[in-house]
Amino acid sequence: MGMLSLSVEEVKKIAKLSKMDVHGEEEKFAELFTDTLIKIQDLNEIDTKNISETFQVTGLTNIFQENSKENINSLNGNSLTKEEALSNSKETTKGLFTTKGVFIKEEDVS
Amino acid sequence: MSLSKLTLIESLDGLKAGKFTSLELTKDCLDQIESYDEKIKIFITVTKDLAIKQAKEADIIISKEGEKAFLKKPLLGIPYVCKDNFSTKGIQTTAGSNILKGYIPPFESTVTKKLKEAGAILLGKTNMDAFAHGSTTENSDFLKTKNPWNVNKVPGGSSGGSAAAVASDMCIFAIGSETAGSIRLPASWCGVTGLKPSYGRVSRYGVAAMASSTDSPGVLSKTVEDSAYVLNIIAGRDSNDATSSHLPVDNYFSDLNDLKTKDKTKFDIKKLKIGKPKSYFNLEFEKGVEEKIEEAIEAYKKLGVKIIEIDLLNPKYSIAVYTILQRSEVSSNLGRYDGIRYGNDRTNFGFEAKKRVMLGTYTLSSGYYDAYYSKAQKVRTVIVEDFKKAFSKVDLIIGPTVPCLAMNFGESEKSSMFGELIDVLAEPSSIAGLCGINVPCGFVNNLPVGFQLMGEMGKESLMLSAADKYQQVTNYHKERPKL
Repeated sequence: MGMLSLSVEEVKKIAKLSKMDVHGEEEKFAELFTDTLIKIQDLNEIDTKNISETFQVTGLTNIFQENSKENINSLNGNSLTKEEALSNSKETTKGLFTTKGVFIKEEDVS
Repeated sequence: MSLSKLTLIESLDGLKAGKFTSLELTKDCLDQIESYDEKIKIFITVTKDLAIKQAKEADIIISKEGEKAFLKKPLLGIPYVCKDNFSTKGIQTTAGSNILKGYIPPFESTVTKKLKEAGAILLGKTNMDAFAHGSTTENSDFLKTKNPWNVNKVPGGSSGGSAAAVASDMCIFAIGSETAGSIRLPASWCGVTGLKPSYGRVSRYGVAAMASSTDSPGVLSKTVEDSAYVLNIIAGRDSNDATSSHLPVDNYFSDLNDLKTKDKTKFDIKKLKIGKPKSYFNLEFEKGVEEKIEEAIEAYKKLGVKIIEIDLLNPKYSIAVYTILQRSEVSSNLGRYDGIRYGNDRTNFGFEAKKRVMLGTYTLSSGYYDAYYSKAQKVRTVIVEDFKKAFSKVDLIIGPTVPCLAMNFGESEKSSMFGELIDVLAEPSSIAGLCGINVPCGFVNNLPVGFQLMGEMGKESLMLSAADKYQQVTNYHKERPKL
């Protein structure tokens, strides 16, 4: 098993990776995560040598949609019109979603 | 008597016989909501006008076609409520979170689509823990739903709104979803029937994802029979959910009375073997709860069922497995909420979502993946095999749904893993993709207690039949709280 505690620094790093604002709550999260990591140590009591993972329980593999005309045209009637797709966005530009800038100038990186 | 107190089967019989109209039935449910929702706080959205319009339309079809109309539309004119994590086209769907406040889906979930096509009438969307993260419904960003049996207690969660709506007779049946306990636990604490189908039996398409490898939509109802009837309609392969099961769909409802077992003989309760896992009883029970479960087991013995003590892995291992895989899958699933295409930005996430996403990000991250995620998925294999071994000896497994009674508000904040600990007896079967059902079996301090039956993947018919037999000889499921 991995480490048994999470520091405030690590919490800040995870928060950044997961785009979560934890300002002022870093210590509380560090404490909670450490507590959880200790509790899940129970797993070490189970020998998993030569045992493979179960990522899913259905046993299904390579499931594709039927290649019918209907599916291609409408994804079973579930494909959205442009208006529907944009209907919940806060801001649109020329019939497209408006996002924040993806690229930032080097000097802005802190 | 208000028509809203009727079971689904009673409602259908009444509509078919012309004893009352869908409009009368629907209005009685809406009256019940109007009278008591302020106290119990179940609904995030009530779709009153739409429900009345649909009820009138149903009545026109019934008056034209009579009983025949129900062959094509087996839920014609029946009012129901739905947990707010099912996408409903044109109707706000929040998943209980501020992230989705004001979100109007442009598409319909497969479950609500099937119900609509079957003629069911949506009364409203029910409260839940935000993104189904929780076991008390306290984690909703909007309301604190009360337990209808005692308003100082939580209803359980995350499908707490749906469970409370059934217990309060505000609907004829309800739809919920379970990742590990979210149907069975609130059903137990609210004293209603709660069916978690096998993983993949009911399509997840259009349900706000929590942990994709265990999320299972299901039913909360007044009787087992009602759950079986609804499962008939919502079960089945769906090309929009690649993980939906390819196993044939049984006729769950008619099977209740006429089940063909493996050897093609009719379902005979006297031939049934139910396993009683020692590890599910070797727990700290709240006073009085264990006795109620033992009484239910005695009732089965009286029916002629053979109860066999079995060994199952200590459920405590499932807490760890479930915590890791759920937080990992949550971290991935909640990545989609960026506030750009729909919904609000990530500053709207509540404490519980932050907690789960961040720990999941950690357990999936390079350097820790093997120690946590991979290890947990390996132990999951051990749990799956453990159940297979048990089911080679018995047909079904019985146990408590939860070892304690409905709790006070605020208790859930006392632990970093409250939900995972309280759902300890639902987690093993959820991780393994099995089906399960909560059945009310008595009261302690005027609060409901339930036991659960668990069955192999795809063995809903057998499980429902056994659960139904218990309700035929008991009346606990008929008890209702004084609101």
